Amino acid sequence: MVLLESEQFLTELTRLFQKCRTLGSVYITLKKYDSRTKPIPKKGTVEGFEPADNKCLLRATDGKKKISTVVSSKEVNKFQMAYSNLLRANMDGLKKRDKKNKTKKTKAAAAAAVAAAAAPAATATTATPAATAAQ
Amino acid sequence: MPQYQTWEEFSRAAEKLYLADPMKARVVLKYRHSDGNLCVKVTDDLCLVYKTEQAQDVKKIEKFHSQLMRLMVAKESRNVTMETE
Repeated sequence: MVLLESEQFLTELTRLFQKCRTLGSVYITLKKYDSRTKPIPKKGTVEGFEPADNKCLLRATDGKKKISTVVSSKEVNKFQMAYSNLLRANMDGLKKRDKKNKTKKTKAAAAAAVAAAAAPAATATTATPAATAAQ
Repeated sequence: MPQYQTWEEFSRAAEKLYLADPMKARVVLKYRHSDGNLCVKVTDDLCLVYKTEQAQDVKKIEKFHSQLMRLMVAKESRNVTMETE
C-alpha cells in the first residue's frame, strides 16, 4: 500500500482511471481516520495516543496497484476541488439521459420558442398602427 | 444488502448510517468504464448499495462523496444533516 501526498495521489488516480478505460474497475474507498498508527491490542491497555478528529483516508486500487492518501481539514478545500474535477472528467462513460426525459425537454423548449415568437409579432402589430397614426 | 433504486433514498440512508458511527462507516466507489456503470456502497458491516449507468448520476455521486469527505474532516462532532437536494 503506497501512501502518497494529496497531489501525487490525484496524479496516480488519474493514471489508474486511464489504465482501466478498456478493461477493469477502479475502486475508491473513503473513511474517517483518527491518526492511529498501531493496531488496537486484543487485551491490555491501548497505547496512549490522541485520536485526531479531522482527517480522512482515501484509498484507490485497480485490483493490482494500490494507492492511498490522508486528507486533513487544512487540505480538504483544495483537494476536494481537484478531486471532484477528476471524478467528473474520468467517469464519462455512462449513458446519457433516457428518451422519456429528452422528449419532455424538447417539448418544453418548443413551447417556449413558440411563445417567444408570438410575443414580438403582437408588439409589431400594435407598433405599426401607432406609427401610421403619428404620420 | 439492500440496493436502492432512487438516489434520494440512498443518500438519506447513507448519511444516517455514517452519522450513527462515523469511525466505522466507509464509502466505496466502483467504476467500470468498459461496462459503463458505477456502483456506490456505504457500509459499516451493514451494506447499502446504489448502482447506476446514467451520466446524470455521476455529478450527484461526486457531490455526495465530497460532502462525506467534509463531514469526516470537520473537527467538531455535531449532529448535522447534509444538504440533500
